[in-house]
Amino acid sequence: MRLTVNNQPIEIDADPDMPLLWALRDLAGIKGPKFGCGIAACGACTVLVDGAPVRSCSLPVGAVDGDVTTIEGLPEGNTLHVVQQAWLEMQVPQCGYCQAGQIMSAVALLEEVDEPSDADIDDAMSGNLCRCGTYPKIRAAIKQAAELKTKLGA
Amino acid sequence: MASIGKIARRTFLVGAAAIAGGVAVGYYFYRQPWPNPLEGETAEGEATFNPFVKIASDNTVTIIVPRAEMGQGVTTTLAAMVAEELDLELDAIKVEHGPASGAYFNSAMMEEGGPFPQFDHSMVAETMRSVSSAIGRTLGLQVTGGSSSTRDAYEKMRHAGCAARMLLVEAAAKEWQVPANSLTTAGGKVEHAGSGRSKTYGELAVAAASIDPPSEITLRPKSEWKLLGKPQKRTDLLAKVTGAPIYGVDIDLPDMLYGTVRMSPRFWAKIKSADTSAAEKMPGVVKIVRLETQTGDGFGVIAENTWAAFNAAEAIEAEWGDSDYPADSAGISKKLQDALAGPDGSSLRDDGDVDTEFADAPADNVLDVAYEVPYLAHACMEPMNATARLKDGVLDIWAPNQAPTIIQQVCGGVLGLEGENVNVHTTYLGGGFGRRGEVDFSIYAALMAKETGGRPVKVTWSREEDTRHDTYRPAAAGHFRARLGSDGLPQAVDMRIATPSVLQSVMRRTFPSLSPAGPERLLTEGAFDQPYTIPNYRVTGVPTDLSIPVGFWRSVGNSFNGFFHESFMDEIATKGGIDPVELRRKLMADYPTALKVVETVAQMSSWSESAGAGRAKGIAFTLSFGGWVGEVVQVAQTNDGIRIEKVWIAADLGEVLDPAIVEAQLISGAVYGLSSAMSQEITFADGAVEQSNFHDYDAMRIHQAPEFEVTLLENAPQMGGAGEIGTPPSVPALANAVYALTGKRIRNMPLSKEVSFA
Amino acid sequence: MSRLAMIVVLAAISAPALVSIGAARADGLSEWATIHKVFSHPRCANCHVEDERPRWSGDHYGGAGMHGFNIKRGTDGSGFGNPGQRCAVCHFEANSGKPHGPPGAENWHLAPAEMAWFGQSSALICAQIKDPERNGDRTLEEVADHVRSDPLVAWGWNPGPGRQPAPGSAEETYRALLRWISFGAPCPGT
Repeated sequence: MRLTVNNQPIEIDADPDMPLLWALRDLAGIKGPKFGCGIAACGACTVLVDGAPVRSCSLPVGAVDGDVTTIEGLPEGNTLHVVQQAWLEMQVPQCGYCQAGQIMSAVALLEEVDEPSDADIDDAMSGNLCRCGTYPKIRAAIKQAAELKTKLGA
Repeated sequence: MASIGKIARRTFLVGAAAIAGGVAVGYYFYRQPWPNPLEGETAEGEATFNPFVKIASDNTVTIIVPRAEMGQGVTTTLAAMVAEELDLELDAIKVEHGPASGAYFNSAMMEEGGPFPQFDHSMVAETMRSVSSAIGRTLGLQVTGGSSSTRDAYEKMRHAGCAARMLLVEAAAKEWQVPANSLTTAGGKVEHAGSGRSKTYGELAVAAASIDPPSEITLRPKSEWKLLGKPQKRTDLLAKVTGAPIYGVDIDLPDMLYGTVRMSPRFWAKIKSADTSAAEKMPGVVKIVRLETQTGDGFGVIAENTWAAFNAAEAIEAEWGDSDYPADSAGISKKLQDALAGPDGSSLRDDGDVDTEFADAPADNVLDVAYEVPYLAHACMEPMNATARLKDGVLDIWAPNQAPTIIQQVCGGVLGLEGENVNVHTTYLGGGFGRRGEVDFSIYAALMAKETGGRPVKVTWSREEDTRHDTYRPAAAGHFRARLGSDGLPQAVDMRIATPSVLQSVMRRTFPSLSPAGPERLLTEGAFDQPYTIPNYRVTGVPTDLSIPVGFWRSVGNSFNGFFHESFMDEIATKGGIDPVELRRKLMADYPTALKVVETVAQMSSWSESAGAGRAKGIAFTLSFGGWVGEVVQVAQTNDGIRIEKVWIAADLGEVLDPAIVEAQLISGAVYGLSSAMSQEITFADGAVEQSNFHDYDAMRIHQAPEFEVTLLENAPQMGGAGEIGTPPSVPALANAVYALTGKRIRNMPLSKEVSFA
Repeated sequence: MSRLAMIVVLAAISAPALVSIGAARADGLSEWATIHKVFSHPRCANCHVEDERPRWSGDHYGGAGMHGFNIKRGTDGSGFGNPGQRCAVCHFEANSGKPHGPPGAENWHLAPAEMAWFGQSSALICAQIKDPERNGDRTLEEVADHVRSDPLVAWGWNPGPGRQPAPGSAEETYRALLRWISFGAPCPGT
């Protein structure tokens, strides 16, 4: 089976029913997307398929019909994505386990909404659980990323 | 024979601990030294100065932070202690967890385990503290818990950095034949201003490490600190925003197999009959093994990938024995109520004469109420997991864990190996909250590694397995009475709290041959040890015989006793017609630190002003782990339910080494507590946990997260912990706010039983 | 003809018609009852809501409650969710095989708010179905076709592990709709 992940073609030998998450993690060695719940209830496994966020723990790899982007694919060369930069600047993560998923959801939100309000952030990010309670910083970092993005004209 | 220098390096840590115990400045040899575990593990050209510092010839300075990084920032704050003394910036050092070793014992955690309030500095209390500290040192318990990492490391890690710097300076002084006091250190170099000569730490390291350590050290005075006391950029965040494979679940070893477990849904029940044949035939399955362990009975599934293992685990057909505890929540509750009504219990606080006060109390002046809280799961974001390899008689375990030396000892015992043949590698933790101090996940992986012919096996639990096989925050029930005087103040308070013993539960599954003795503070901590003066004041803990595994859940006993005590205080204030802040001002008059915290949080939240229509505020205070914390929660009624709008936190934990990290921890602790208060409960049916995943055991989400405002005070006489202290007052502050908003006094958690949240 | 006679005659003429209309109405209402059982079933009604929030229900949830995680219709009113959190983040083209995993079908979304069934009386649901302003501008025959052929509607009878399916089948519901239409598509009184 052939997938395109972070612009790289990869060949894996997977049962088409295997969730994309496990194909990425156990077969392709791409560990950024995390296993949290297995039922699309926590968001830790969020990746983008053709730019749209999906919970990879619940999407069969055989049903993937686009290019997959994981957190490893966000930076351009040595430059972190603006969302990653904002996450660093605001010192968002604690344990960090949910943050790859949070960042992917935030990237997807900012693709659609240039200047998200608090309500936009609530409506986009409530599927991503954080047990450390970094929510106030996530909120601040998304706004920071939106500013950075506008500044860079990206 | 080891050189004096070598012995001195090995004994460094215990010496430093003696200082931490307050003996003197300087350092000491101790009779039972722990060897420096880095000796013999250094790379070519690398030198180690003590268990905390390694310097390589290319000038890479590695600081060992032997505590679990679970988000609380130890890899930043503890590293900063060493870097401060080495005159290095944090971005110039590398941080490693290091091996499991008794040298990394935690004595601070043990110190506050005794049956004394933290403000008790009596001879007996202090003696117990120093004995407990010595036990921690002698047992070599390397544990991350009890909000103790910073307190424990504060002296010894600064000493480690300082001693290393002094040796580097001395090596340069010898080489250049100049007095040591003519040399300075900066940017990873030793410099001689007079001659303009300089050498990097890396160039001096090997020579420096062979010099006998100094007999006296002078730490940098606080006024010269460049890192400590100021917010630092965390050392672990670049990895965490780039998805680096740093967690237990990310371990990847050559030839690795994958696995999971399916343990008895009824705790301690044995397998009556089982059919694994269908599961064994499933694609990708390598082997299914029976697990009969001190933490539970069940199956391990070894497979070619995690998904195949999960599927096979679900396909195992098994019949399990009955539970030896009541099979449902009603039965469990009855057990707590029976214990409460029975004669047993010990009172860690018993001031005045409570019985006499209630004997003649006019009924109108008496409050008499019952409270109850449920079991709670930790629900770490990273499900339990461990990777194990047993090859050539050596067991290696990679695990996100809070207690590497205990894992080493227990897993060695299970496989019949000596400790020296068990290597525990601690990864980053995707949440810990007390859950990862347990040994179950490591035992299962170790036993499964026996079945793979030397191949490593990464054993990941499903979320369902994790939720249903936690070591839960215990359920608890309370019967509380207060007699109010004519001034509305309590003249007698009697709190009786029934809950299963966490210590006994931990011992049963960790060291089954030992049993703890003596009064247990965990039953009533957060209630018996609070800085209130009430003339007749009794707090009694009743250990309740329930064998459902219970463990250390963020803030432990404080998590429910804080709710009991502070919600009951709110009831007393209401009945006495006294404002809750005013009540605390009066009762806390003997404790200026507490008073200042309460007054600060009241001021921050404009307590005396109304929150406005459809809004209300609640306040609570808990002293735990050396942290004096007051919280005010403001709630609002909305069309979607009650919304938590804002939380103000004032906290005094004495000296603050990184205000940004401490603030983040306080908020984190409050979110953890508020999550539990809003909707969490673990319930039982047919002897098994009913909840299974985040659809029925959820936590606060971003749309529910309030705004936070935090003030840090530094009046407390001793340094307190940060990781847990935000949790206890958050629960009652919310319950009290809900009461103020709705008039509903909710005494049974979670609050969602009676009100709904937006 | 006296007035009285006229009444008698009229009564004699109209009585069979009345009986027949009455019988058709009763038969129609009986068909509607079958249809209503489907429409008001959680597998259908949970996503035909008046407000912004889909519902979850099942024995395990103790009755119907809000969908977790703050999931909403979408500020654009589309029913496909909000930016960053569309339904399709979790709901794919097929059901998750895991209990409590996300169910899936093509085009997963909420029905428009005007097609609310959740918590509505049988009479109100019936009136809505018949109102082109609120039924997607469909004739009743088109409504029946939609029930028979739409893949998202079909999900109601194939809802994935652990979920009780809607009663009957798409085909049976389609036929009940046709019979109901043939009996004049009567609605129960409010």
